[in-house]
Amino acid sequence: MLCSIKSLAQRRYVIRMWVAAALCVLFAVVAGLAFRLGHPHGVLGYGIAVLPALPIIWALYATGVFLVEEKDEFQRNLLVQSLLGGTGGILAAATAWGYLEDFAHAPHADLIWVYPLFWAFAGISYGVVWARYR
Amino acid sequence: MSSRVGSPAKYRFEDRVLFFVVPLFFLDAILGIWGFHYHHLHPDGALAVVCAALQSSPIIAFIVIVGLYLAGETDDFQKTVLVQSILRGIGVTLAVTTFCGSLEKYGFLRQMDVSWVQILFFVTVTVSMLVSRWRYR
Repeated sequence: MLCSIKSLAQRRYVIRMWVAAALCVLFAVVAGLAFRLGHPHGVLGYGIAVLPALPIIWALYATGVFLVEEKDEFQRNLLVQSLLGGTGGILAAATAWGYLEDFAHAPHADLIWVYPLFWAFAGISYGVVWARYR
Repeated sequence: MSSRVGSPAKYRFEDRVLFFVVPLFFLDAILGIWGFHYHHLHPDGALAVVCAALQSSPIIAFIVIVGLYLAGETDDFQKTVLVQSILRGIGVTLAVTTFCGSLEKYGFLRQMDVSWVQILFFVTVTVSMLVSRWRYR
């Protein structure tokens, strides 16, 4: 898959994002096991709970680095539009669901789903923008 | 009184925010405060979905306006500042929601309303914009 990517910045970005995704899953499993087996509380509990959020910061940092490193303006524009789509999608969905929870008694949505949903919306947005420019 | 010299894209951006996003926010606030909290209206079914869509309409309008601004703005520096601020905003929002989600899941925090996500995003984007402007002044 990486061989088909011509730009060095894109290749680095894809590698960084895969590493971030793997770390996110790993840290979530570690945090889950720690809470299930060790029942940590206090500062240690907060420290373990923050673990799955760390790769997210790194993933967004990698996205910022990509936008600086990538020389192709079209590729940069494509990613920015996708991220805007992802942001709009997740904010609209969260607001609508929050309202439905408050006033229409919809089931509670866990906040940990916000991050995967953001990338799902960004992925859909990327597909739409890509199809538009084809 | 100081006058700011901005690009036409920036003026259009400000006009669109003023004439579309702000009225939609006021409409939502009126609906929320007067309708749901004061009169305790509890719409259900399709009406609830329509009201929910109305609540999220300012965000969709704002994101569309930002997209139009980025397409129309010729000053790369202004575009970069806005994109960096949005990126920081979404980064902080996603990290905080995942952290709070973990705390909520393991019983450290009571159930949090997902509608706070948009407020957190707009606050962090605004702070990030102010920091960027101060840094590049």
